[in-house]
Amino acid sequence: MIAQLILATFTGLLLLGIHRKVIARIQRRPGPPVWQEILHMLKFSFKSTWIPATASTVLFSGVVLVAIGIWTAAFFVMLTGGSLLVIFGIYMLHKIVEHGFGLSSGSPYGKFGGVRSVISAASEIPLFVSVAAIAIFTRSFDISDIIAYQTVHGPLMFIAFPAAVAMYIVILSKMPFGPFSIVESKELVSGYKTEHFGIWRAGLEVCNGLKTTVLLATFLMVFVGQLPILWLGAGMLLLVVSLSFACALTPMLSPFDSVTVQTLVTGLMLCYGAVLFIGVRA
Amino acid sequence: MAGASACITAYIVNMLGILSLWLYAAVLVLSFPVFIIGLFLWWMAEEGKEDIPFIGY
Repeated sequence: MIAQLILATFTGLLLLGIHRKVIARIQRRPGPPVWQEILHMLKFSFKSTWIPATASTVLFSGVVLVAIGIWTAAFFVMLTGGSLLVIFGIYMLHKIVEHGFGLSSGSPYGKFGGVRSVISAASEIPLFVSVAAIAIFTRSFDISDIIAYQTVHGPLMFIAFPAAVAMYIVILSKMPFGPFSIVESKELVSGYKTEHFGIWRAGLEVCNGLKTTVLLATFLMVFVGQLPILWLGAGMLLLVVSLSFACALTPMLSPFDSVTVQTLVTGLMLCYGAVLFIGVRA
Repeated sequence: MAGASACITAYIVNMLGILSLWLYAAVLVLSFPVFIIGLFLWWMAEEGKEDIPFIGY
Protein backbone atom coordinates (compact mmCIF):
# COMPACT_ATOMS: atom_id res chain seq x y z
CA MET A 1 0.00 0.00 0.00
CA ILE A 2 2.83 2.44 0.84
CA ALA A 3 4.64 1.55 -2.40
CA GLN A 4 1.34 1.92 -4.31
CA LEU A 5 0.77 5.34 -2.72
CA ILE A 6 4.22 6.52 -3.78
CA LEU A 7 3.78 5.02 -7.26
CA ALA A 8 0.36 6.71 -7.58
CA THR A 9 1.89 10.07 -6.57
CA PHE A 10 4.66 9.81 -9.16
CA THR A 11 2.20 8.57 -11.82
CA GLY A 12 -0.10 11.52 -11.18
CA LEU A 13 2.79 13.99 -11.35
CA LEU A 14 4.05 12.39 -14.57
CA LEU A 15 0.56 12.68 -16.08
CA LEU A 16 0.44 16.35 -15.05
CA GLY A 17 3.83 16.79 -16.76
CA ILE A 18 2.49 15.13 -19.91
CA HIS A 19 -0.54 17.46 -19.66
CA ARG A 20 1.76 20.51 -19.69
CA LYS A 21 3.85 19.09 -22.54
CA VAL A 22 0.83 18.34 -24.75
CA ILE A 23 -0.64 21.82 -24.11
CA ALA A 24 2.71 23.37 -25.04
CA ARG A 25 3.03 21.34 -28.26
CA ILE A 26 -0.54 22.25 -29.30
CA GLN A 27 0.37 25.90 -28.74
CA ARG A 28 3.62 25.41 -30.73
CA ARG A 29 5.88 25.88 -27.73
CA PRO A 30 8.62 23.37 -26.78
CA GLY A 31 7.19 23.06 -23.26
CA PRO A 32 8.85 21.56 -20.19
CA PRO A 33 10.04 17.93 -20.05
CA VAL A 34 7.28 15.48 -19.08
CA TRP A 35 8.89 14.82 -15.67
CA GLN A 36 8.84 18.55 -14.83
CA GLU A 37 6.13 18.16 -12.15
CA ILE A 38 8.17 15.44 -10.41
CA LEU A 39 11.21 17.74 -10.51
CA HIS A 40 9.02 20.56 -9.14
CA MET A 41 7.99 18.43 -6.18
CA LEU A 42 11.61 17.41 -5.44
CA LYS A 43 12.94 20.94 -6.01
CA PHE A 44 10.45 22.51 -3.60
CA SER A 45 11.17 19.84 -0.98
CA PHE A 46 14.88 20.79 -0.91
CA LYS A 47 14.34 24.55 -0.65
CA SER A 48 14.69 26.53 2.56
CA THR A 49 11.28 27.01 4.11
CA TRP A 50 9.52 29.08 6.71
CA ILE A 51 6.03 30.18 7.65
CA PRO A 52 5.14 33.81 6.75
CA ALA A 53 4.72 36.19 9.70
CA THR A 54 1.14 36.94 8.62
CA ALA A 55 0.10 33.27 8.49
CA SER A 56 -1.85 31.17 10.95
CA THR A 57 0.93 28.68 11.79
CA VAL A 58 -1.32 25.72 12.61
CA LEU A 59 -3.63 26.14 9.60
CA PHE A 60 -0.78 27.00 7.21
CA SER A 61 1.12 23.77 7.90
CA GLY A 62 -1.79 21.56 9.01
CA VAL A 63 -3.75 22.06 5.80
CA VAL A 64 -0.91 20.43 3.83
CA LEU A 65 -1.14 17.31 6.02
CA VAL A 66 -4.92 17.27 5.58
CA ALA A 67 -4.57 17.64 1.79
CA ILE A 68 -2.28 14.59 1.54
CA GLY A 69 -4.34 12.65 4.10
CA ILE A 70 -7.70 13.00 2.36
CA TRP A 71 -6.35 11.88 -1.02
CA THR A 72 -4.55 8.97 0.67
CA ALA A 73 -7.99 7.97 1.98
CA ALA A 74 -9.54 8.44 -1.49
CA PHE A 75 -6.82 6.28 -3.03
CA PHE A 76 -7.56 3.56 -0.49
CA VAL A 77 -11.33 3.76 -1.14
CA MET A 78 -10.74 3.49 -4.89
CA LEU A 79 -8.30 0.60 -4.52
CA THR A 80 -10.68 -1.42 -2.33
CA GLY A 81 -13.71 -0.71 -4.57
CA GLY A 82 -15.39 1.33 -1.84
CA SER A 83 -18.26 3.76 -2.12
CA LEU A 84 -18.28 6.53 -4.70
CA LEU A 85 -20.06 8.64 -2.06
CA VAL A 86 -16.87 8.69 0.04
CA ILE A 87 -14.93 9.98 -2.98
CA PHE A 88 -17.65 12.66 -3.47
CA GLY A 89 -17.15 13.60 0.20
CA ILE A 90 -13.37 13.75 -0.17
CA TYR A 91 -13.75 15.92 -3.26
CA MET A 92 -15.89 18.28 -1.17
CA LEU A 93 -13.26 18.24 1.60
CA HIS A 94 -10.64 19.14 -0.99
CA LYS A 95 -12.55 22.34 -1.81
CA ILE A 96 -12.51 23.20 1.91
CA VAL A 97 -8.78 22.42 1.99
CA GLU A 98 -8.19 24.78 -0.97
CA HIS A 99 -10.10 27.43 0.98
CA GLY A 100 -7.90 26.73 4.03
CA PHE A 101 -4.75 27.05 1.93
CA GLY A 102 -5.89 30.44 0.68
CA LEU A 103 -7.03 31.87 4.00
CA SER A 104 -4.14 30.62 6.15
CA SER A 105 -1.40 32.76 4.61
CA GLY A 106 -2.72 36.28 5.11
CA SER A 107 -1.97 37.15 1.48
CA PRO A 108 -4.79 38.70 -0.61
CA TYR A 109 -3.85 36.51 -3.60
CA GLY A 110 -4.30 33.39 -1.48
CA LYS A 111 -7.54 34.73 -0.03
CA PHE A 112 -9.00 35.44 -3.48
CA GLY A 113 -7.95 31.93 -4.56
CA GLY A 114 -9.68 30.52 -1.48
CA VAL A 115 -12.83 32.52 -2.16
CA ARG A 116 -12.88 31.35 -5.79
CA SER A 117 -12.50 27.80 -4.51
CA VAL A 118 -15.76 28.22 -2.59
CA ILE A 119 -17.46 29.80 -5.63
CA SER A 120 -16.39 26.89 -7.83
CA ALA A 121 -17.38 24.36 -5.13
CA ALA A 122 -20.96 25.61 -5.50
CA SER A 123 -21.03 24.33 -9.08
CA GLU A 124 -18.42 21.54 -9.15
CA ILE A 125 -19.82 19.50 -6.26
CA PRO A 126 -23.40 19.32 -7.63
CA LEU A 127 -21.83 18.40 -10.98
CA PHE A 128 -19.88 15.57 -9.36
CA VAL A 129 -22.93 14.39 -7.44
CA SER A 130 -24.91 14.29 -10.69
CA VAL A 131 -22.69 11.34 -11.63
CA ALA A 132 -24.83 9.51 -9.08
CA ALA A 133 -27.33 9.04 -11.93
CA ILE A 134 -25.38 5.86 -12.67
CA ALA A 135 -26.77 4.39 -9.43
CA ILE A 136 -30.15 4.19 -11.20
CA PHE A 137 -28.54 1.51 -13.38
CA THR A 138 -26.20 -0.15 -10.91
CA ARG A 139 -28.41 0.13 -7.76
CA SER A 140 -25.22 0.76 -5.78
CA PHE A 141 -22.63 3.44 -5.17
CA ASP A 142 -19.84 0.94 -4.49
CA ILE A 143 -17.13 1.03 -7.15
CA SER A 144 -16.83 -2.78 -6.91
CA ASP A 145 -20.58 -3.15 -7.70
CA ILE A 146 -20.33 -0.62 -10.54
CA ILE A 147 -17.44 -2.64 -12.02
CA ALA A 148 -19.43 -5.87 -11.62
CA TYR A 149 -22.42 -4.26 -13.41
CA GLN A 150 -20.18 -3.30 -16.33
CA THR A 151 -18.76 -6.80 -16.59
CA VAL A 152 -22.30 -7.99 -17.41
CA HIS A 153 -23.82 -5.01 -19.25
CA GLY A 154 -20.82 -3.28 -20.84
CA PRO A 155 -19.18 0.09 -20.12
CA LEU A 156 -21.36 2.73 -18.48
CA MET A 157 -19.72 5.28 -20.77
CA PHE A 158 -22.12 4.07 -23.49
CA ILE A 159 -25.07 3.32 -21.19
CA ALA A 160 -24.93 6.60 -19.24
CA PHE A 161 -22.98 8.89 -21.57
CA PRO A 162 -24.21 12.22 -20.06
CA ALA A 163 -22.98 11.10 -16.61
CA ALA A 164 -19.55 10.40 -18.14
CA VAL A 165 -19.56 13.91 -19.63
CA ALA A 166 -20.39 15.39 -16.19
CA MET A 167 -17.52 13.50 -14.55
CA TYR A 168 -15.21 14.52 -17.41
CA ILE A 169 -16.05 18.18 -16.75
CA VAL A 170 -15.29 17.64 -13.04
CA ILE A 171 -11.83 16.29 -13.94
CA LEU A 172 -11.35 19.11 -16.47
CA SER A 173 -12.15 21.57 -13.66
CA LYS A 174 -9.33 20.12 -11.58
CA MET A 175 -6.71 20.16 -14.36
CA PRO A 176 -4.28 23.09 -14.44
CA PHE A 177 -4.68 25.64 -17.27
CA GLY A 178 -8.25 24.50 -17.97
CA PRO A 179 -11.28 26.69 -18.76
CA PHE A 180 -12.61 26.19 -15.21
CA SER A 181 -9.27 26.51 -13.32
CA ILE A 182 -10.30 29.81 -11.77
CA VAL A 183 -8.72 29.04 -8.39
CA GLU A 184 -5.23 29.06 -9.93
CA SER A 185 -5.80 31.94 -12.30
CA LYS A 186 -2.67 33.93 -13.14
CA GLU A 187 -4.16 37.29 -12.14
CA LEU A 188 -4.03 35.85 -8.60
CA VAL A 189 -0.34 34.83 -9.04
CA SER A 190 -0.84 31.16 -8.08
CA GLY A 191 -4.23 31.53 -6.42
CA TYR A 192 -4.76 29.68 -3.14
CA LYS A 193 -1.21 28.27 -3.15
CA THR A 194 0.61 31.58 -3.71
CA GLU A 195 2.25 31.74 -0.26
CA HIS A 196 2.82 28.00 0.18
CA PHE A 197 6.42 27.55 -0.94
CA GLY A 198 9.28 25.18 -0.13
CA ILE A 199 8.24 21.94 1.57
CA TRP A 200 4.62 23.12 1.89
CA ARG A 201 4.38 23.41 -1.91
CA ALA A 202 6.16 20.06 -2.28
CA GLY A 203 3.48 18.55 0.00
CA LEU A 204 0.80 20.16 -2.15
CA GLU A 205 2.42 18.64 -5.25
CA VAL A 206 2.22 15.20 -3.58
CA CYS A 207 -1.48 15.86 -3.00
CA ASN A 208 -1.93 16.92 -6.65
CA GLY A 209 -0.21 13.77 -7.90
CA LEU A 210 -2.42 11.53 -5.77
CA LYS A 211 -5.56 13.50 -6.67
CA THR A 212 -4.88 13.25 -10.41
CA THR A 213 -4.33 9.50 -10.23
CA VAL A 214 -7.43 8.94 -8.10
CA LEU A 215 -9.74 11.06 -10.28
CA LEU A 216 -8.55 9.59 -13.60
CA ALA A 217 -8.54 5.99 -12.36
CA THR A 218 -11.98 6.44 -10.74
CA PHE A 219 -13.35 7.79 -14.01
CA LEU A 220 -12.08 4.73 -15.89
CA MET A 221 -13.33 2.28 -13.24
CA VAL A 222 -16.79 3.89 -13.09
CA PHE A 223 -17.31 4.36 -16.83
CA VAL A 224 -15.16 1.71 -18.51
CA GLY A 225 -14.84 -1.02 -15.88
CA GLN A 226 -12.04 -3.12 -14.48
CA LEU A 227 -8.91 -2.82 -16.62
CA PRO A 228 -5.53 -4.57 -16.40
CA ILE A 229 -2.90 -2.21 -14.98
CA LEU A 230 -1.29 -1.48 -18.38
CA TRP A 231 -4.65 -0.69 -19.99
CA LEU A 232 -5.52 1.46 -16.99
CA GLY A 233 -2.29 3.40 -17.54
CA ALA A 234 -3.02 3.73 -21.27
CA GLY A 235 -6.57 4.88 -20.51
CA MET A 236 -5.32 7.50 -18.05
CA LEU A 237 -2.80 8.73 -20.62
CA LEU A 238 -5.50 8.97 -23.29
CA LEU A 239 -7.78 10.82 -20.88
CA VAL A 240 -5.00 13.29 -20.00
CA VAL A 241 -4.19 13.95 -23.67
CA SER A 242 -7.87 14.66 -24.40
CA LEU A 243 -8.04 16.98 -21.36
CA SER A 244 -4.87 18.74 -22.58
CA PHE A 245 -6.57 19.45 -25.91
CA ALA A 246 -9.58 20.87 -24.08
CA CYS A 247 -7.30 23.03 -21.90
CA ALA A 248 -5.06 24.20 -24.77
CA LEU A 249 -7.90 25.17 -27.09
CA THR A 250 -10.21 26.98 -24.66
CA PRO A 251 -9.51 30.21 -22.80
CA MET A 252 -9.93 30.36 -19.03
CA LEU A 253 -13.45 31.50 -18.27
CA SER A 254 -14.19 34.30 -15.85
CA PRO A 255 -15.32 32.99 -12.43
CA PHE A 256 -18.99 33.74 -13.05
CA ASP A 257 -18.96 32.21 -16.55
CA SER A 258 -17.19 29.14 -15.18
CA VAL A 259 -19.86 28.65 -12.50
CA THR A 260 -22.65 29.34 -15.02
CA VAL A 261 -21.42 26.73 -17.52
CA GLN A 262 -20.95 24.11 -14.79
CA THR A 263 -24.38 24.88 -13.31
CA LEU A 264 -26.01 24.59 -16.76
CA VAL A 265 -24.43 21.14 -17.21
CA THR A 266 -25.65 20.18 -13.72
CA GLY A 267 -29.16 21.31 -14.74
CA LEU A 268 -29.01 19.15 -17.86
CA MET A 269 -27.79 16.25 -15.71
CA LEU A 270 -30.74 16.71 -13.35
CA CYS A 271 -33.13 16.51 -16.34
CA TYR A 272 -31.27 13.39 -17.52
CA GLY A 273 -31.51 11.85 -14.02
CA ALA A 274 -35.25 12.67 -13.86
CA VAL A 275 -35.88 11.06 -17.26
CA LEU A 276 -33.93 7.98 -16.18
CA PHE A 277 -35.81 7.78 -12.89
CA ILE A 278 -39.22 8.09 -14.57
CA GLY A 279 -38.13 5.48 -17.13
CA VAL A 280 -37.17 3.04 -14.39
CA ARG A 281 -40.42 3.62 -12.44
CA ALA A 282 -42.63 3.27 -15.56
CA MET B 1 10.63 9.27 11.59
CA ALA B 2 7.42 8.71 13.56
CA GLY B 3 5.36 8.80 10.37
CA ALA B 4 7.65 6.36 8.58
CA SER B 5 7.75 4.04 11.62
CA ALA B 6 3.94 4.06 11.87
CA CYS B 7 3.57 3.34 8.11
CA ILE B 8 6.04 0.45 8.14
CA THR B 9 4.79 -1.02 11.45
CA ALA B 10 1.18 -0.89 10.21
CA TYR B 11 2.25 -2.56 6.94
CA ILE B 12 4.04 -5.42 8.75
CA VAL B 13 1.26 -5.92 11.31
CA ASN B 14 -1.31 -5.94 8.48
CA MET B 15 0.77 -8.50 6.56
CA LEU B 16 0.85 -10.72 9.68
CA GLY B 17 -2.95 -10.50 9.81
CA ILE B 18 -3.06 -8.83 13.23
CA LEU B 19 -4.28 -5.43 11.99
CA SER B 20 -7.52 -5.25 9.98
CA LEU B 21 -7.44 -3.62 6.53
CA TRP B 22 -9.54 -0.62 7.61
CA LEU B 23 -7.40 0.03 10.69
CA TYR B 24 -4.32 -0.22 8.48
CA ALA B 25 -5.89 2.33 6.13
CA ALA B 26 -6.69 4.65 9.05
CA VAL B 27 -3.08 4.46 10.29
CA LEU B 28 -1.80 5.17 6.75
CA VAL B 29 -4.14 8.15 6.25
CA LEU B 30 -2.79 9.68 9.47
CA SER B 31 0.86 8.71 9.15
CA PHE B 32 1.57 9.01 5.41
CA PRO B 33 1.24 12.85 5.35
CA VAL B 34 3.40 13.07 8.51
CA PHE B 35 5.98 10.82 6.84
CA ILE B 36 6.04 12.95 3.67
CA ILE B 37 6.29 16.32 5.44
CA GLY B 38 8.76 14.87 7.98
CA LEU B 39 10.94 13.59 5.13
CA PHE B 40 10.85 16.99 3.40
CA LEU B 41 11.62 18.80 6.68
CA TRP B 42 14.57 16.46 7.23
CA TRP B 43 16.23 17.04 3.86
CA MET B 44 15.24 20.65 3.14
CA ALA B 45 18.07 23.21 2.88
CA GLU B 46 17.45 25.25 6.02
CA GLU B 47 14.76 27.05 7.94
CA GLY B 48 14.65 30.68 6.80
CA LYS B 49 13.58 33.71 8.78
CA GLU B 50 9.85 34.41 8.64
CA ASP B 51 8.82 37.36 6.48
CA ILE B 52 5.74 39.44 5.77
CA PRO B 53 4.30 38.67 2.32
CA PHE B 54 2.48 41.23 0.19
CA ILE B 55 -0.71 41.96 2.11
CA GLY B 56 -2.31 44.55 -0.13
CA TYR B 57 -1.99 48.23 -0.88
